[in-house]
Amino acid sequence: MSNAIDRKTALHVGKLARLELTDAQADASAKHLASILSYVDQLAEVEVPEDIEPFFGATESVNAVRDDEVRPSMDRETILRNAPDSDGEFYRVPPVFG
Amino acid sequence: MNTNTQISAADREAVTAAEVTTIIGLEVHVQLQTKSKLFCGCSTLFGQEPNTQTCPVCTGMPGSLPVLNKQALKLSIKTGLALNCEIAKHTKWDRKNYFYPDLPKGYQISQLDQPICGVGYLDISDSDGAFEPKRVEIERAHLEEDAGKSSHDESGRGGKSKIDLNRTGTPLLEIVTRPDMRSAAEAKAFLQSLKMILTYIEVSDCNMQEGSLRCDGNINLHINVGGQKIATPIVEIKNMNSFRAAERALDYEVKRQLAEWKETGGTIEGAPKRTFGWDDQAEVTIAQREKEEAADYRYFPDPDLIAVVTTDEQIDAIREEIGTLPSRLRNDLVREHQLSEYDANVLVNQGRGVVDYFLSVAKTCDNSKLAINWVNQEVLRHLNETNSAIDQYPIGSDGMGDLLKRITDGDLDQTRGKDVLSAMMEDSIDAAAAIEKLGIRQVDSSELDSLCQQLLDANPKVVAQVQEGKVKALGALVGQARKINPNVNPGTLQANLRKMLGVDG
Repeated sequence: MSNAIDRKTALHVGKLARLELTDAQADASAKHLASILSYVDQLAEVEVPEDIEPFFGATESVNAVRDDEVRPSMDRETILRNAPDSDGEFYRVPPVFG
Repeated sequence: MNTNTQISAADREAVTAAEVTTIIGLEVHVQLQTKSKLFCGCSTLFGQEPNTQTCPVCTGMPGSLPVLNKQALKLSIKTGLALNCEIAKHTKWDRKNYFYPDLPKGYQISQLDQPICGVGYLDISDSDGAFEPKRVEIERAHLEEDAGKSSHDESGRGGKSKIDLNRTGTPLLEIVTRPDMRSAAEAKAFLQSLKMILTYIEVSDCNMQEGSLRCDGNINLHINVGGQKIATPIVEIKNMNSFRAAERALDYEVKRQLAEWKETGGTIEGAPKRTFGWDDQAEVTIAQREKEEAADYRYFPDPDLIAVVTTDEQIDAIREEIGTLPSRLRNDLVREHQLSEYDANVLVNQGRGVVDYFLSVAKTCDNSKLAINWVNQEVLRHLNETNSAIDQYPIGSDGMGDLLKRITDGDLDQTRGKDVLSAMMEDSIDAAAAIEKLGIRQVDSSELDSLCQQLLDANPKVVAQVQEGKVKALGALVGQARKINPNVNPGTLQANLRKMLGVDG
């Protein structure tokens, strides 16, 4: 089973994750990604009977819901303390264009 | 690349509007009317101080866990039922991954392959006959969370952008149509019809200024040229912030795409979808900066959330709550209250509150014709002038019904009725008190006789005309009579004058 990942794919995945990779880093990542995929591919060896429905999570329980009730939010000062930059009202981020 | 035979510039230039078909599909984001957010208990109130309605869940703090708001699910199902959609018995949550500063988790919780609402439809028509009535199919409607709000430095000095996360996590239902609309007018009618249904079933206030209803359009042209059928590249138009803007943006884009194709001959083959924004001031669509790579959202099932299973009983119970939808209500009003199509349309377009007001007034005064005239004229004029809603109208339906009952019974004529209504509004009093205040009383027969005699004595010309057979000339005396005694009923007055002149019947 071939899970070869080329440098181009590694650079693309890096870009999606906002990581700037050098070619050397991209090549190393490609190797790591290929090895992870091969590991996960072991699942493909399991024979699944036809009548088994797809399964999306780690539990079979369903319907964890809550009532539509407002609960107190965190105060702004506390929550903005997590931000690298704020003006006390807003988060401030590097300029974003369109 | 282009598989079509090359079409010459001259042939392109010769194409007329008759050979061009416009293809439009819409994506509408509707903010559901819940008190709290989709996956946490923060308030969804609009217009609050920035970043005062957030918590670890909606700001994406590690270790926080989302829990689904069951009201948002219910409102989604209600919408789906009103739009004739299949409702999913089993629905799940997926992460749509992208980076943007107003999306703190780095992904949006959405629904990829098991949307809560499947295929449905909405029938549209135009009362002025701008297009034939038609059915627009709904592809799907899925529930997802909203992002925050960014404000950018527009001074051109490259200042930092500011982020408010109050809106982050507010429930949105994204309704996606099939490309079934053939003109901007049809798209506008779809949006108007959709908005009316959503407000009738009370799933959203659809306030476009506050972003409760947002619309993107996908549009291209199919052109028949010399036996060949070609399609222009698809453009997605964003930022259509009002129905009028949507109509104008789509109309503009039709012209722009035709002009572009005539110039370049570029077709859909090998052309990725482009995104344009509508500039409402300049009245043009503007190409937005192309992303260097096609969007790659890497959807996968959200491991923090479990599936939702809905039973037939639950769906039926929600169906019970929908009530009468606008199209059905229009028919009922025409059939059961003998309203004209026009009057029924005007009334229903005002929303459920005004319809209920009318129904109550009509019942109290037992006169649908009078009730619809007063509601569609007096009441709606006041609401328009004061830009207010029916629940803010100073005269309740009981008070209005009482007033119109007096007119129906002949105690008041309509002109005096309007004076009474003004007095009721000015002094916050009921009809009886307003009539008392204005000194309106029935004019008794001896009073009426003496008034008529006075008019006949003062108007020998009118008398002569009537005796020559022009009975209508009496109408000229009504104004004079009202100056002398404003309480006189024009109908009774004219009848009495005819009797005195011996031209009765």
